[in-house]
Amino acid sequence: MRVLIAEDDLTSRIMLQAVLSKWGYDVTSASDGEEAWDVLQRTDAPPLVVLDWMMPGMDGLTLCRKLRAQDRADPLYILLLTAKGESNDIVRGLEAGADDYVAKPYDNEELRARIGAGRRVLELSFEVAMRQKLQGVLEMAGAVCHELNQPLHIVTGYSEMLLVDLKESDPQAETLRIIKAQVDRIGELTRRIMHITQYRTKDYLGGRHAIVDIEEASSEAGGMK
Amino acid sequence: MINRRILVVDDEALICEMMKWAFTNAGYEVQTAASAEEALELVKTQKYLVFFLDLNLPGMNGIELCRNIRKNNPLTIAYAVTGYASTFEVFDCREAGFDDYFTKPAEMKTLFQAAEQAFQKLARWSRNE
Repeated sequence: MRVLIAEDDLTSRIMLQAVLSKWGYDVTSASDGEEAWDVLQRTDAPPLVVLDWMMPGMDGLTLCRKLRAQDRADPLYILLLTAKGESNDIVRGLEAGADDYVAKPYDNEELRARIGAGRRVLELSFEVAMRQKLQGVLEMAGAVCHELNQPLHIVTGYSEMLLVDLKESDPQAETLRIIKAQVDRIGELTRRIMHITQYRTKDYLGGRHAIVDIEEASSEAGGMK
Repeated sequence: MINRRILVVDDEALICEMMKWAFTNAGYEVQTAASAEEALELVKTQKYLVFFLDLNLPGMNGIELCRNIRKNNPLTIAYAVTGYASTFEVFDCREAGFDDYFTKPAEMKTLFQAAEQAFQKLARWSRNE
């Protein structure tokens, strides 16, 4: 999982980066609040942030408040590091929007455990979001398909019956066959859409948007449950 | 001589019209109803042997309707024609007494085959009693 650390002291920053990397995190470092803020504005911003409270310029507390005031699309877990240890500072830190708090000098194992807890919270968030997305897709698919299948049934029936009355060689028969083939295509699509079981997307218009990949989403080989 | 009377139940008038026209052209006698309640009234006055029922009806739904028809008329054949396909629906349909289950859009060719098979079966059953 990707982590952002914001620590102005060089030695502390290097040590923090080293232990986090050793524990398997993909670390990005910032040496002050402004730099951390910029990193967190990117679309690929790390979801886990370890902030030092005491930094020149924008301190950890202020950065926390600014981040929580933002309307962010993805969850952000903030761990505040500080040399202060008074209980009202802990309260201020949590109220400013930090999810957890570790006092310096910290015990490495405690830091590791608390960051691990943050990672768990984020992973659960992502899992819930994915399930809700799939639920949304299924609800929409059901409604749309049901509505579409009604007029499709009517058009299929009439084009089928009209074709029966026309001779094979009649030029209008060919046109009608094409019309019926397109209607059958739509029918196939609604059938596929109603069998979506997974949330899968693909790029549309060169990666600027994502749309549901109907084929991938409905390709579950599970069959009837 | 056995009648070839079909009852089509669907709350969408255009669907009833299309199915009535198609089945009539194919040689059957067809009546339609826009709701389960209307269908049950018709069943009291006329004998229908084959039913094509939409499941999503206002008021009583198609599954309940099938149960009702089955209860009083066991020697009939009922087909579900539905706009929403779900595996749970098939189970409910079988349990309610439907003989088969079709999803919209369904080709009339398929429904004609089903109707023909239904009447053949019914003719065979009445010869055997």
